[in-house]
Amino acid sequence: MEKKNNAIFQRILENRNKVLTIVFLALIMVIVGNLKPWFGSYWVRVFNTCCIYSMVTMSMNLVNGCTGIFTMGSPGFMCIGAYTTAILTLTPEVKDAVYYLSPIAPWLRELNTSFPVALLLGGLFAAIAAFIIGFPVLRLSGDYLSIATMAFSEIARVIMLNAQSITNGPIGITKIKNHVTVWVAFMALVSVYVLLRLLMRSTYGRALKAVRDDPVAAEAIGIPLFRTKMTSFIISGFIAGIAGGLLASLVGTIDANQFVYSYVNQFLLMMILGGNGSMTGSILGSFVITTALEVFRFMDEPIDFGFWKYPGIGGMRMVLFSISLMLIVLFWEHGIMGSNEFSWDRIIERVKKLVSSIRGLFKRKEEQA
Amino acid sequence: MNVLETRHVTMRFGGLTAVDDLNIVIEEGEIVSLIGPNGAGKTTCFNVITGIYQPTEGEVFFYGEKLNGKRPDQVASIGISRTFQNIRLFKTMTVLENVLCATHFNRHSGLFSNILHLPNALKEEGLNRDKALKILDEVGLAQYADWKATSLPYGLQRRLEIARALVSEPKLLLLDEPAAGMNPKESDELADFIFEIKDKFHITVFLIEHHMKLVMKISDRIYVTQYGKTIAMGTPEEIRNNPLVIQAYLGEEG
Repeated sequence: MEKKNNAIFQRILENRNKVLTIVFLALIMVIVGNLKPWFGSYWVRVFNTCCIYSMVTMSMNLVNGCTGIFTMGSPGFMCIGAYTTAILTLTPEVKDAVYYLSPIAPWLRELNTSFPVALLLGGLFAAIAAFIIGFPVLRLSGDYLSIATMAFSEIARVIMLNAQSITNGPIGITKIKNHVTVWVAFMALVSVYVLLRLLMRSTYGRALKAVRDDPVAAEAIGIPLFRTKMTSFIISGFIAGIAGGLLASLVGTIDANQFVYSYVNQFLLMMILGGNGSMTGSILGSFVITTALEVFRFMDEPIDFGFWKYPGIGGMRMVLFSISLMLIVLFWEHGIMGSNEFSWDRIIERVKKLVSSIRGLFKRKEEQA
Repeated sequence: MNVLETRHVTMRFGGLTAVDDLNIVIEEGEIVSLIGPNGAGKTTCFNVITGIYQPTEGEVFFYGEKLNGKRPDQVASIGISRTFQNIRLFKTMTVLENVLCATHFNRHSGLFSNILHLPNALKEEGLNRDKALKILDEVGLAQYADWKATSLPYGLQRRLEIARALVSEPKLLLLDEPAAGMNPKESDELADFIFEIKDKFHITVFLIEHHMKLVMKISDRIYVTQYGKTIAMGTPEEIRNNPLVIQAYLGEEG
């Protein structure tokens, strides 16, 4: 009996990482499944937003962190995805009510698909936009490229703002049905994460990293620069488009000004905090920043310290937020993960080090005693 | 058959003529060196051959195929590999990954089968990995396969760059100052190494070098350039006694 137990124990040890992953995933699933009863619907919404922002951040990280081209066009792709999903999921009757100032184009009125199809089409249109603007933009380099992608983002927004019969202009689209449950958001996040990790482990991922590390050498060993950058840019656009669609569905109402180019700063911060080039870091960064912004909300309201009454200044949380970000960038420049990905081996190594250093502390005290 | 042939290649940058009427012929199985004082346009010549620059005038042929208008990655994929004067390794990658990168252009599996790790992609990855490990073994880097490329000592980084150039089975290898920064012992080892890979991989070697001892030891023929112009060509013995070359390197007799 004991022997058999030993054998099982041995096998668990051999597959330690797999076992840990399964346990960890099960734990996360339990938390996600009980998010509403445990934390309430407010935090469910925060969690869903975190998931969507994580996807956008990962899509930016693929281009900026892994391929080394500094783009800032994410709001544009999100905008395209959001409008596509919104328009395609509204039924003709609801569309009549939403487009009350000037009616929707007749061919668009009848178009109505299920949510998943709308979402995928949103991603597809964003990917097509990436493909088209990629031709001029990806031939640029450095700052010029960033500015050009930012300009694209603004162009997409202004078009959406003015295409009255398609996007309802400045009024925006309301009454979008919310399909984004905890599980939808969570599964979308997990699939994007897994797919991107698999991509980065393949020969294509290596090609992206080669282009980032040394474009001249990459080209000299047969990696076509433009095509490689384009591949990364299109995949990134697709993911950002899907995230935009999810966001539209979650929020229930969109207007073009939501996707103003400065929106990208937020994702940039999440990416840098998480670690440039690390998908795991992008997720951590998104969750930390989105949650922190919610937690800091108490700063905007009056607080009674007993000896001093803080009057509550609107926007104070942003000040605190900015200061903490500055501190992070100053003292923690590589972010949470650096360019490393999640790995049990590294975590266990860290824990072992921590344990041994704590033990060392106690030993010294014993010796002194 | 001529492996490489340049016909009247001229490269101008504005008013500066970096390469002036360059005519080089390299035959299969040769080791040919290009030497000349600093700024003679040697690296520019490599950059023209590999497609980084398009020549202002003239044509470059590789096994009779015209290279003009081809991008560097296209030139690499038809069988010309090169190394760089200042080592250019992918610094975030391991030694093995550096070599694997050079197998990318030769892939047969598409993006989706690679993302989803389908059997055909996995099989190809396995084959490439074996091939890369074999090359690493042959250049003596097998035990460092999992090291960060930049943590290797300098001499081994040079070897790694050559291994990366060799894994795609090129027909012509261009080496840009492979002995730069090496001590005499290391450059002797390098000479043996170049002979070794030439025989093992059946390649033709064209190199730029300043180390005269190395050049004289390994070259079948030598081209000498000065201010972009070719001033001499011949066997090491001929070059050693050529008055023009002596003048270019040592200056005129006072």
